[in-house]
Amino acid sequence: MVVAGVDVGSLYTKALILDSAQNVLSYEIIRSGFIYQEAASSCLDSALKKSGFNSHDIAYAVSTGYGRARVSSANEHISEISCHARAAKWLFPEVHMVVDIGGQDSKVIYVGDHGQVLNFVMNDKCAAGTGRFLEVMAEALSVDLNRMGDFSAQSRNVVEVSSQCTVFAESEVISLLTAGSNREDIIAAIHRSIIRRVMAMVGQLGKKERVTMTGGVTKNSGVLRELEKSLDTTLLISEEPQVAGALGAALIALSKAPNRNHLN
Amino acid sequence: MEEIKINRLETTKKIGPMINQYWEKLRQAPAQGKKTAWCAGPLLWMTKAMDMPTHEMPAYAAWAGGRHGAPELLEAAENDGFLPESCSYHRVHMGLLANVRDGVPIREDMQLPIPDIMFTAPLCPEMAHLADSVYRRFGVPVVSMHCPTPYREADIERHTDWMERELREVIVPALEEVCGRPFDNERLREVLIQLKEAALLRNECWEFFKLKPSPWTLWDYIVSMGPFVILAGEPGGVEYYKELKAELEQRVEQGIPALTQEKYRVYWDALCMYGWFGVIARKLASLGINAICGRYPWELFPRPWLIDTEGDPIRAMAELIGEIRRVYAGELYPQIVAELVEEYDIDGLIMFSFRTCKNWSMGQQDVVMEIERRYGIPGILLDADGIDPRYYSDAQIDTRFLALAEMMEGRKKLRQRD
Repeated sequence: MVVAGVDVGSLYTKALILDSAQNVLSYEIIRSGFIYQEAASSCLDSALKKSGFNSHDIAYAVSTGYGRARVSSANEHISEISCHARAAKWLFPEVHMVVDIGGQDSKVIYVGDHGQVLNFVMNDKCAAGTGRFLEVMAEALSVDLNRMGDFSAQSRNVVEVSSQCTVFAESEVISLLTAGSNREDIIAAIHRSIIRRVMAMVGQLGKKERVTMTGGVTKNSGVLRELEKSLDTTLLISEEPQVAGALGAALIALSKAPNRNHLN
Repeated sequence: MEEIKINRLETTKKIGPMINQYWEKLRQAPAQGKKTAWCAGPLLWMTKAMDMPTHEMPAYAAWAGGRHGAPELLEAAENDGFLPESCSYHRVHMGLLANVRDGVPIREDMQLPIPDIMFTAPLCPEMAHLADSVYRRFGVPVVSMHCPTPYREADIERHTDWMERELREVIVPALEEVCGRPFDNERLREVLIQLKEAALLRNECWEFFKLKPSPWTLWDYIVSMGPFVILAGEPGGVEYYKELKAELEQRVEQGIPALTQEKYRVYWDALCMYGWFGVIARKLASLGINAICGRYPWELFPRPWLIDTEGDPIRAMAELIGEIRRVYAGELYPQIVAELVEEYDIDGLIMFSFRTCKNWSMGQQDVVMEIERRYGIPGILLDADGIDPRYYSDAQIDTRFLALAEMMEGRKKLRQRD
């Protein structure tokens, strides 16, 4: 028997399978689309297949994310805030702050010594400072989203993208291109813009070492560099930060699974 | 897991019709040859002393929100050029004025007549802006007095002296002029006596919040605030609280709690989400969260024994305004929250950060940190508007409420372990 964590986000759905010894057996990441129930089902099936188990082997499942209520196979729904905190502590026992930048929101979470959430600040009112902002900008600049970090590393001049609003920022980017700025400098400015939003949230709580970053945007090396610079720290980054929510959900599932000693 | 339900009080079902009737009376007043007043700020007890049918700015906005009339009013205001980021309470009134001036259609029960006079003692800049709009659009005379914001307890006495002078030298003469007769001090005294009696009964009802589980919710109390605002001086206010108290006593005798399972008790800061009153109550109840107390609902005369009904009613009126202003005082804000946390054994804080109301949202994060430091209980900030659906998101609120429940549960477990 195993446990499962499913994180249904606005852009991506993640599923992770854990065994009783807390070994990550498998995980899967797929685009959520617009039918969350199907995305959750499909993602979980795929993760299970990779693990060698099937749905009957799941002792307990926890769902999280905006679409958590749509995961019909979940025994319980837990907020992504708690799941990210739990995962972060498990991955890095010395962590006390999580910066999570996802597709649709960003958050900063204070984590206690036992992995509990002490406090959090969330930006879910505005696309600026989220993965969606990067997607829009990548489109505007005709750049592969996955290569934005490489581009910004080649920036040599400081330009500013100052708008708070994604829509206004897009028109600002077009103005910069028209004025002759290159994509490398503009992308670096976009990364700084995201981190300014994040730092405002960090400022509300105050920085607490050590810090980890989770969420899909962690894979953008440019954003990572800017965050480290702004926080004046070396971030702790897991092998696959995008599944942190699903991992946390699975860890919580493990703590709640009945007869957990009889899991495989 | 069994669904947690709310046991609704019978008495509170009576307040809605009383309030609807109040607004209907105001709507009919001009046709009956009566002069009406609008109030932005705590002066309606003065107009009631002259038996003037009276509007009150937050009371109307809250009622419009609760009756789901706000979206149409807000749209009418925006079509008239008002920015959606501005105070939603002001904007519903601008929608109302657009209906009167230009015939912009709004629901009949949301309509109100333009007043003969407007009084303002602004508790915030938006109240002054409303008065300005009423004057500029309709030429309604506006009479204003200053209602200073205290920063320390010591400011309140000094401000009270100031406000007493303004009441005597500015408000009373204006009322006498518009009503064509001397100001009725004895009628003001009657209003204050009734207010005090209702508030003393109300405080006895507050005692029931200390019980675990509580037999009523903060939402039951908020809908019951009418007798201290627009229903002050109207028949039925004191009787309402006598009935409410009796029903609470009966609940305690019969072991009926407000929630079928009260797991956590929370403090709610700032105004209410009137447009989603029932929705929010049910969301919290589903997590076993009972909202118990708050700075805004405790604004209205939490110390009714201080209301002087024997001495000079104008002085008593000034002291009442000073008492209302007390919860706004920067120095006192964290202390007031701390007192409520202790008195009602609170597990967590919900700080409703009213999107278009800066007045009630300032300093909330600081208070969360301070209360956490003192008592080790968590708090969340809820970013939405009280009546404007543009700023409301179910998913965002659900996530925060769920996270708060998880934090409160986590703290409980840690305390048990220690």
